[in-house]
Amino acid sequence: MAEALQEQQPPALPNEIDPREFDGPAFQRDPFPLYKRLRDHHPLFHDRFHNRWVLSRYWDIDGAFQDNASYDRAVYKPDGPYQFGSTHVFGPNILEYGNSPQHRWLRNIVAGQFVGNRLQVFLPMVAQICDEVIATFKEAGEVELVSQFSSQVPIRVISNMLGLPRQDEDTFVGWYQALIAGLGFGGEHLARGIQARNEMWDYLDPLIATRSKTPGDDLLSRIVSAELDGARMSPDEVKGFVALLLAAGGDTTDKAIANMWFHMMYTRPDQYADVQADPNLWDDVFTEMMRYDPVVHAQFRHTTREVELHGRVIPERAGIILYLGAGNRDERVFKDPDTFNIHRSDLHMGRENRSGRYKDGKPGHLGFGIGQHFCMGYAMARQEAMIACTKLMAAMDTPQPKFDRHPGISSPSIDSGGFRSPQELVLTFNPV
Amino acid sequence: MKVRIDLDKCYRSGECYYNHPELFEMSDDGDPALKVTDLTDAGMRLHAEQAAEVCPAGAISIEE
Ligand code: HEM
Ligand code: SF4
Repeated sequence: MAEALQEQQPPALPNEIDPREFDGPAFQRDPFPLYKRLRDHHPLFHDRFHNRWVLSRYWDIDGAFQDNASYDRAVYKPDGPYQFGSTHVFGPNILEYGNSPQHRWLRNIVAGQFVGNRLQVFLPMVAQICDEVIATFKEAGEVELVSQFSSQVPIRVISNMLGLPRQDEDTFVGWYQALIAGLGFGGEHLARGIQARNEMWDYLDPLIATRSKTPGDDLLSRIVSAELDGARMSPDEVKGFVALLLAAGGDTTDKAIANMWFHMMYTRPDQYADVQADPNLWDDVFTEMMRYDPVVHAQFRHTTREVELHGRVIPERAGIILYLGAGNRDERVFKDPDTFNIHRSDLHMGRENRSGRYKDGKPGHLGFGIGQHFCMGYAMARQEAMIACTKLMAAMDTPQPKFDRHPGISSPSIDSGGFRSPQELVLTFNPV
Repeated sequence: MKVRIDLDKCYRSGECYYNHPELFEMSDDGDPALKVTDLTDAGMRLHAEQAAEVCPAGAISIEE
């Protein structure tokens, strides 16, 4: 009977997309087949089930990032403006200021701290932290890279950049984990995340007060005392920014490092040999990882006016999802897009530009976004990942994955900002 | 007062046109271009001065 019923259903059209696919486990594990169907057959997909429009081709995503008059990141309630900070786990922060002049102001107050000379002074500390973390497992000749290395380094780096006392580092790591968990999953996790945020804020209050009066050379002092046209960030904005730094700067870089090692161990062990011969190639591993399967796959916008695209009209105030991970595999832009190759000649290698435009004429990856909200930590993430990977490689002779098979990179939920990474990555090696 | 952009030095960082869209715009290939040539307005002068200050390539200069 059941069989008979099934037979009566019309066969699904091979290229038709059921929006529930975005919520299924297959998509979290391997979103690329669905991305391809989107690019090829539904370059503008109206997902009525999730009430949003989906963009997946490289130049459409670039176009949305560049068009501030039509697309904004700030979120509005249907009946009015969004209340900043009331429900967001981070509190008030730059992510919620959309394309306003306030966003430009807030960004410019701090952006300079993460590039150029200001960044260089922190690099010896990054190297030292890597050494310390590596020393905790090196003699064992075996490491679970995610828990013992990649998730340890970036958060300790940020804590040190902020100039927090070193004995508080572990407490800080705990708040960080609760905040990150509160990001994607709502409910109980959101409540714990907000509690961790509040504890962290109480901890930061006196530090902010003293460092505004007598600033040192640490990042927290620089943030509280940075001025633009005579104005400083408010204490609430400082705290919101610190909370954001933990996730935007910690969790992402953490997963970037794990992904780079995953690809070197499982996807292209042949190219790991090249990197061993020339450690500078970690730079290209970073770039190709940010194209092939970047940490962040989805960004959200909404329309501020009607937008015409692919012969259709997206209404005003419509939700938009930009799949960076799909644009990066666009065969209209990259040759053999599904091949991981650090020697690619059709991708801009090296430092990213906020404009997404390069003098070598090559397209860049979309993994840091483009334009108004282009990642502020792009230089820091790259440098930190480079130092961490180079240091780890130098400590290990002939590293091997412990298990032949690996379940691969996945995300708890691509569409709610869940970052992609391997859950575990066990390596064995001879200590150097 | 005149703003000059040295396109040989410029590496298309985008900082001038994202931070000062009042004065600069992006051309299709990513090079910055001036939107306004009349800089008698005090607000425009300020945009020009700030952009010259933050351009990471030192490609923007102001001539009186
Ligand atoms: C590999 C690591 C990283 C990845 C994959 C990443 C990814 C991204 C992406 C995709 C955006 C764009 C958001 C949008 O378009 O709305 C962004 C923005 C941002 N990132 Fe990162 N990021 C990384 C590292 C960092 C680091 C180390 C910092 C620390 C400074 C940081 C701070 C920020 C901030 C503050 C923004 C918001 C900028 C704005 O709205 O103007 N990120 N990041
Ligand atoms: S800020 Fe300088 S380097 Fe960047 S696009 Fe403008 S002129 Fe070029």
